[in-house]
Amino acid sequence: MKNILLGLGVAFAFLVSCDSKKKPSADEISGVLDSVKIEEPSISEDVISDIIQQIPSPLEISTLLKESDTKYDKSYLNDPEKISDYNSNYKKALALGVYGTDLGYTNIYEQNQDALFYLNSIKSLADDLSIGQFFDIGTIKRLATNSKNLDSLLLITTKNFNNINNYLQEQKRSNLSILLLSGGWLEALYIVARVSEKNPDSEQLKETIAEQKIIMDNVVLLMSFYKDNDPNIRQLSNKFVKLQEEFNKIEIKTVYREPTYEVVDGMLVVQDNSTSEIIMKDENIEAIRKQVYEIRENIIN
Amino acid sequence: MKKLIFALGIIFISASVQQTYAQCNTEKHVEACIPKLQSGFTFLKSYNIDGQGGAKDKVEYSYVFTKGATYQIRICNDGEATDGIVLTLYDSSRKKVASTKYEGSTLSSIAFPCQVTGIYYITFTFEGSSNYCGGSVLGFKR
Repeated sequence: MKNILLGLGVAFAFLVSCDSKKKPSADEISGVLDSVKIEEPSISEDVISDIIQQIPSPLEISTLLKESDTKYDKSYLNDPEKISDYNSNYKKALALGVYGTDLGYTNIYEQNQDALFYLNSIKSLADDLSIGQFFDIGTIKRLATNSKNLDSLLLITTKNFNNINNYLQEQKRSNLSILLLSGGWLEALYIVARVSEKNPDSEQLKETIAEQKIIMDNVVLLMSFYKDNDPNIRQLSNKFVKLQEEFNKIEIKTVYREPTYEVVDGMLVVQDNSTSEIIMKDENIEAIRKQVYEIRENIIN
Repeated sequence: MKKLIFALGIIFISASVQQTYAQCNTEKHVEACIPKLQSGFTFLKSYNIDGQGGAKDKVEYSYVFTKGATYQIRICNDGEATDGIVLTLYDSSRKKVASTKYEGSTLSSIAFPCQVTGIYYITFTFEGSSNYCGGSVLGFKR
């Protein structure tokens, strides 16, 4: 009988151990993540993960800028040489998000040489945060040196950032993921705010800024889960809440209408008949812009 | 003692079944799916569809879609068909926007030119699926 029990126990232990992959455990990386070592939030990781994955890629804004014939301008981006300024994991995680957006911007505009500078900075910050394993820098550099490979480069870097976010959530380090996403989102908002300042007649750019209201709510919500236990996130959250107050002055009205459909080459193509209207004033956008510049300045310096 | 053996047996079977579910290699499906996005669409996100052998009847994700962008969501698994995986898209009020189950056939992709920025829910359900396993990708273009 004892043998049966022992056999079942060994088999069970084997099955369980088979499921563990050769990734560093949360404990192994926790030593590295000093300044972001915080208590678990009261809300489940699954809920946090669900909110995180809603946040759109900053690539969408970069694409919008390129499609609207806005010229590439390196001065909008954070200097890739500034990585030595980021000496805490909190700063590094935020900067990683900022550089991720900057890399996406250079990729969309096919600026390979600039992309390489950002890749180097990203790799360095990722290594410091023990997430450098997601960047095969050799392959990425090879792709970046040939403009024919831009689609592959974009794909690899997008996949890497998605994988990093998934990995951090698996490792129950969503706080880092939130900093990375917040930094990335704010940088995209900063770029579009700069472009809009230069092109004050563009209603599309103003609307793009105003529509960030929806994402703003998610970012503030995510930070709220950590602000009680993490003084860095609390400080950042306070600034984001002030920004949210400006966004709250904007109203988005939606009129729902039933969609219609057609099948084209085996794909269902939806005709979205709903509409939305953004009610805002120029001073709303100006106030948002001012706050975005301030927060961004604080993040990168 | 019998109860103990029975309990351990249950644990053993559960663990074995879980191990079977782990064979749902969603990553393989996702990798196969990315090149199937239509030309002009930029890859944004991948989604694992693991129904855990039928234990889960729904897998759901959400994403903020932006007005003016067209999104394509594609389902992939081993064959050309979708193996009973149905994708349904809902808006932020949970109103159904579209489903790949359309006029009696099950399609593998949806193109959605978004007119209202907001949170959209991407839901995968299983109807007569044999593997309850697949991958999906989201791409966009302006």
